[in-house]
Amino acid sequence: MKKKRKIGKEIWLMLLAAFIAVLFFLLMTSYYRNIMKKAGVSANEMNQIYQYQYEMIVDSRNITFWQDVYKNAQKEALEHGAVLELRGVENSEDYDKADYMDMSIAAQVDGIILEYNGEEGLQEKIDEAVGKGIPVVTIVNDAPRSMRQSFVGINDYQLGQVYGAEVANLMDANTSRVLVLLNREQELGQNQLYAQIYSAVEAKAGSDRKIKIQSQNVMSRSQFDAEEVIRDIFQSEEGPPEILVCLDEVTTECAYQAMIDYNMVGEVKIIGYYISKTIVDAVSKGLLPVTLSMDVEQIGTYSIEALTEYWEVGRSNSYYTVDLQVITRENWKQQEN
Amino acid sequence: MRKRRRLRWRDLPLAVKVLFQVSMVALVLFSTNILMYWQMNNMMRSLDSVYASNVNLTELAESLEAVQTDMYNYLTVKTSDSLESYYRSEEKYRNLLEQLNEQVMENPVKLLEKNIRKMSETYLDYTAETVLAKRGRNVEKYKGYYADTLQMYRYLNSYISDLNVQQFKNNSSSYQALQSAIQYMEVVSTVMLVLMMGVCILMLFYMVKGVVAPLTGMAATANLVGQANFNVKMPPTDAEDEVGVVTRAFNTMVSSLEEYMKLTKENMEKEQEMMERELLMETHLKEAQLKYLQSQINPHFLFNSLNAGAQLAMMEDAEKTCIFVERMADFFRYNVKKGSEDATLMEEVEAVENYVYILNVRFAGEIHYTDEVDESVLDCKVPSMILQPLVENAVNHGIRNIEWEGTIRLRVKRDGDVIRISVKDNGKGMSADRIEQVLNGEVQSEESPGDSTGIGMHNVISRLELYYKQKNLLMIRSEGENQGTEVIITIPDMQPGE
Repeated sequence: MKKKRKIGKEIWLMLLAAFIAVLFFLLMTSYYRNIMKKAGVSANEMNQIYQYQYEMIVDSRNITFWQDVYKNAQKEALEHGAVLELRGVENSEDYDKADYMDMSIAAQVDGIILEYNGEEGLQEKIDEAVGKGIPVVTIVNDAPRSMRQSFVGINDYQLGQVYGAEVANLMDANTSRVLVLLNREQELGQNQLYAQIYSAVEAKAGSDRKIKIQSQNVMSRSQFDAEEVIRDIFQSEEGPPEILVCLDEVTTECAYQAMIDYNMVGEVKIIGYYISKTIVDAVSKGLLPVTLSMDVEQIGTYSIEALTEYWEVGRSNSYYTVDLQVITRENWKQQEN
Repeated sequence: MRKRRRLRWRDLPLAVKVLFQVSMVALVLFSTNILMYWQMNNMMRSLDSVYASNVNLTELAESLEAVQTDMYNYLTVKTSDSLESYYRSEEKYRNLLEQLNEQVMENPVKLLEKNIRKMSETYLDYTAETVLAKRGRNVEKYKGYYADTLQMYRYLNSYISDLNVQQFKNNSSSYQALQSAIQYMEVVSTVMLVLMMGVCILMLFYMVKGVVAPLTGMAATANLVGQANFNVKMPPTDAEDEVGVVTRAFNTMVSSLEEYMKLTKENMEKEQEMMERELLMETHLKEAQLKYLQSQINPHFLFNSLNAGAQLAMMEDAEKTCIFVERMADFFRYNVKKGSEDATLMEEVEAVENYVYILNVRFAGEIHYTDEVDESVLDCKVPSMILQPLVENAVNHGIRNIEWEGTIRLRVKRDGDVIRISVKDNGKGMSADRIEQVLNGEVQSEESPGDSTGIGMHNVISRLELYYKQKNLLMIRSEGENQGTEVIITIPDMQPGE
């Protein structure tokens, strides 16, 4: 009896030792997991092998719009067995989109999502990629004459109509000039947009009143161009136009900042684009009467869908329409989240 | 019980037990360490799999440069040497590319590797085309291709430097993670080792205690046994180890000791009993002899018959016969009556006189008996039948069969507060050895009791000693052979009423 009790004690101690070992093991394991979390993803996830590699080439990858598009597209890509990389023109020394197209083609990726901007030679690069079996999906701006597989966005006609309606909405007795700030090389699509705005303005003003509708290209030939161009507009002799139409996020933010700086709130009405924090703030304060935005989630989803379909079915829709949202002071809150 | 010899813990020798316990503790500590190292290794491996790339980027970049340079050289001079060196560098570059990942992964480093690999393949295609065009002297074509390779070369270099930067970033964050992990591990390991050590020491303590406990118990028990307590015993065990053997031996020893002690005690008791019984038997024998003698004749019948004889003698005027028969009756009456009672000295002296008278009638006056008695001590109480046996001895061993006239002299006198009684004869005398033997009771009455009253010297001595509770009351003196013998009794003066 006594002896048994003693053996029991030893066994208890052994159990205690085992318990300590297990505790240690658990401690270390949890800590190790923690480290892996800190490192980003666990080793397995990081090294999971995917079937496809897609690249998304945009103008400035650091702005909110593209970040949001990329985030959604990447999520979608991972779900469809693909990895998506984002490349932006502004962050590398001296490569333009054609260079990135070259690199992607040379790296033999499985798909390219391109924000087309009418850059010289870009269309040929699209054709070259498609020729080498790499599907190209253009987003936001289309390259209709290229051999691209799909376009995800809104066509210029529709876009022009919405813009035209908004411009007409903002016109009043003082309105004599409307300036459209284009962000790409002049071409047919662009003209469509311009034409739609023009016809809308004309319809509103009537034939007896002359309203000047101008357009200016602010596409950056070199860095920081857009900002300088917009400042120039505000400082020009004839003064800024009464209505300023911006077609992208950067232009909108520059115009908005210039308007504040030159103390022209109320005199200049800016139709903005996208819903970055600055822009939404401005809309909520009534400083920007209206901003338009494409549904970023849809852009991401559709572009990946187009590529996935290409690989799985062999073809894909050539046109995916993305919803366009009009955000005003009344409904900005819905966009916040 | 022993049909199957199973190896039991308690059967193992002490050395093996202790060895086993110590090695178990060592094993626990060792496995703790192994666990720690394993954890550490595991973590480093995982970190490696996340971050590390086994690609030597410097070598890769150099090799790429060599390809480009060699192609350029070939385009410039078009020697077979330069072509050969171009092929060599191309081969080497291709080999290096083999190390690069070619799977699509989320890991940016791996993805970059993949890009570099694929791009390099395209690049090498271009260089091959260029070289081919040069060999074919297609000037326009090779110049065009050369421009392409140059561009690709630029892209590749920027990718490689990207990869370099990425790896550097990863390495530093990996290093940081590792460093903090090692610090954490240090703390946790130290704590755990200390805990383990404590537990192990406790474990060892209890194990050793468990082994030594029977020994300790035995020491305590042995102590008790040392104090003559045989009731304690170790709890029985069937362990085959040294302690078990010693325990069993100890238990056996204790029980044997106890048995031995009991046996010895019993033997002693038996011996004592036997001695007592022997003594008793002797006494009983004597008593039986006496009873026998007494019972042979109904004394009253004898005395009455003797009285009748005496009266008959008187009537026939045989005066001497009458006196003889009367004295004889008196002697035997005394003998019977006083056999178990105290008597006075006077009665004793009378009995002696009657005895001598009877003897003188029997042996025709051969015995010259004189007595010298102090009248004042005649009332003194003495044990009965002590003088007659002395006189009888003096007659039988002293003066019987001597050539000269035998005399017996009885003297009773007061000497201070003792009474001295002396019976002296002038017979054969005794040697000192003989005296010694008689006094020690070594001489039993070997002669036939038929001619005796049956009360020997030794009996007298014993009764005197018992009566007065003193020793050396009787003394025998003899000058030598034929010089006579004197027996002296010294008794305390015990007058009645004093």
